[in-house]
Amino acid sequence: MDLEFTDDDDELRANVRSVLASISPPGVVREIYEAKGDAAAVWEQMVELDWPGLGIAEEHGGVGMGFLEVAIVCDEHGRATTPGPYLATVTQYVPMVRELGGDHAAALLADVAAGRTTGTVALAEAGSWDPASVRTTAEERDGVWHLSGTKSAVLDGATADRIVVIARAPGTTGTDGLGAFLIPRGAAAASSRLVLDETLPVADLDLHGVVVPVDRVLARPGSPGVAAAIERANQEATVALAVNAVGACRNIFEQTVEYAKQREQYGKLIGSFQALKHRMADMYLAVERASALAWFAVLAIVEEDPRRAEATSLAKAAASDCERLIVRDGLQLHGGIGYTWEHDLHFLLKRAKACDALYGNGIHHRARLAEIVGLTGICTRETTTTRATTEDAS
Amino acid sequence: MKLSFGEDVERFRAEFVAWLEVNRPSVEEMAAEPAVSSAHVPGWARAWTNRMFRDGWLVPGWPPERGGRNAGAIETLVYLEELEKAGVPRTTNPQGLGIVVPSILDYGTPEQVEEWAMPVLRGEKAACLGMSEPNAGSDLANLSTRAVLDGDHFVVNGQKVWTSGANYADFCFLFCRTDVEAPKHKGISVLLVRMDTPGITVRPLSEIVHPAHPDLNEVFLSDVLVPKENLVGVMNNGWAMANGSLAHERGMVWLNSVLNLEDDMRELLGHAAGVLPQLGGLERGAFVDQIMQSYTDTMAARCLGYRGFAKLVRGGSAPEQALMKAFCSEAQQRLTMVASELDADGALDRTDDSAGRYAMTWPERYFTTFGGTISAGSSEIQRNIVAEKVLGLPR
Repeated sequence: MDLEFTDDDDELRANVRSVLASISPPGVVREIYEAKGDAAAVWEQMVELDWPGLGIAEEHGGVGMGFLEVAIVCDEHGRATTPGPYLATVTQYVPMVRELGGDHAAALLADVAAGRTTGTVALAEAGSWDPASVRTTAEERDGVWHLSGTKSAVLDGATADRIVVIARAPGTTGTDGLGAFLIPRGAAAASSRLVLDETLPVADLDLHGVVVPVDRVLARPGSPGVAAAIERANQEATVALAVNAVGACRNIFEQTVEYAKQREQYGKLIGSFQALKHRMADMYLAVERASALAWFAVLAIVEEDPRRAEATSLAKAAASDCERLIVRDGLQLHGGIGYTWEHDLHFLLKRAKACDALYGNGIHHRARLAEIVGLTGICTRETTTTRATTEDAS
Repeated sequence: MKLSFGEDVERFRAEFVAWLEVNRPSVEEMAAEPAVSSAHVPGWARAWTNRMFRDGWLVPGWPPERGGRNAGAIETLVYLEELEKAGVPRTTNPQGLGIVVPSILDYGTPEQVEEWAMPVLRGEKAACLGMSEPNAGSDLANLSTRAVLDGDHFVVNGQKVWTSGANYADFCFLFCRTDVEAPKHKGISVLLVRMDTPGITVRPLSEIVHPAHPDLNEVFLSDVLVPKENLVGVMNNGWAMANGSLAHERGMVWLNSVLNLEDDMRELLGHAAGVLPQLGGLERGAFVDQIMQSYTDTMAARCLGYRGFAKLVRGGSAPEQALMKAFCSEAQQRLTMVASELDADGALDRTDDSAGRYAMTWPERYFTTFGGTISAGSSEIQRNIVAEKVLGLPR
């Protein structure tokens, strides 16, 4: 296992960092926060640089790189708390369209690669991104599909040009009967939420009465491979968020260390106090721990490793541990200045928290891990056995 | 970046696995005569070391005459992984093989290599490392054991403590002060001292777990005469060797920490499978969360270790390795704590001494993890090092 970046990777990262420093510096982020600007210019410049198509195959008009390169952008994107449709379009919509495949995929991907459209995925309901929790239904009547249900926390849900809606055949449960439908912006009533992180706007979608023509069905409910495709796309989206969170956390950590080297109290630099040194050493470890697992997950996805699902949940769980410590200690060690609106630190604190909440937090992913490594399976099985034995005995 | 090794490395792995199947000590012979100290070499261990030395599997990275096969760093890593998987200890004298021998090879004379290092490589002798003293623990440079050259001999007086395996070792790689005038770091030398030399008294320090099998010792040195040809390297150059020793120790020690953690995790999962079904839902959920926290630690340890390793193989530096020791030992502490709590009934038990030093219940294992967080630079010292050397925080 080799988790070290190559010179090419480093070069891409340096390039992305310098571009983001120029197109989404803290001043631009602040304008979004203070409702004095939008992210349109940020996205336009990304389009100019071919970033939307970075991970899209050349045959679909993309650059033909892979998820590793996309993840490098995500890392820097988190570090800069970049606003705009990049995360939803590139790490949610594109993987979902690609994995679902079918007749539409090529044209939809080409539209993204060319910068013509943005997109997102409407999957979550009531705070769960687990496809098995989907209750929104899709029914075919009179040659069209009728959607019914409510989606929550759709990233860019009010602004993305195209939305992939995950819905199921009525009466099905679990991963059975899942399907995917493409709707344009405005087809469903979107209510924008008041969000903690203004750079990651989410909206709830009311799908009642939304009608989808047959030629906009990406996957008919219950057709083979749909659940697996959604799962794979979810893994990319989840790992992208883990990487994004780690990028934000690393920045908080670095700023905290810098601050501790400048701030004096009692005639001494606060960074010389052992109590703070130890906390910063722990912050360093938390970032490295999360980063190592995030890149392990990126590789597992790139290499189609059988541990994809496990690596995904490990990455998101570790990003969560990292975020918990870094947000707490980063804010605490900055003292009063970090608590003020004028200081830029809160953009990062909020990004880290938002990434944690999206696509399952640490507790959720540890529970998933337990399923993946077979702990809950063992529990269920053995509970049944224990019960049977007890009954035999009585 | 990639997840797998190349074909060459996998061929190397296959060759070693095949050799191991034929030549490994059996589970029965290991259990019949368990090692009870880190310098205790039971009969089976001596024969095992000798077979590895003979066939070039003792230190794969070294040349054949030193018990190796000039293997690369990645091959060595694979080799250590396979040994751990097979449940076979590489040596029962880790300080001897891992620190003392490499230091003698680096700094010693050809005669010293023949007389002191080679017998350890053949499993014939065991060595201990005399570093810590009552007033020189984490602050090793403060050591005060005195060696005065008088004609053909050094006369050594002083006291060592926490000396692992001194109660079984044949000789000691002893750090002494040879110049009291020089600054602390510059007056230290290393002597090779036979443990049966008159004037040496070893007092084992029973530990909080398995007091019947002490591994740590106090070593008292009173007018001990050591031939002057037993000086390793140059007079007053001991500090370089102390740093070298730790470098040897840290070179691949991370891998052992990771592999141990993985072993513990596998065991914990099996343990949990037996206990969890008997618990109520809320209690079970709480345990599952903590167990998976440890699972995440375990996978992170592997990824962190390998990432740092990749950097070192390419000749770069890997500052995060500085925290590996603290991270792995603390992760092991959390893991064994959860494992102990998982079985409240078993948490009251200790192991019978007849099972040897290394058989332990979960709560006993929890206590022994403090060996990792306290020794060889405590976790607090590691944090200071990271804060100052890696993060550049002011002293």
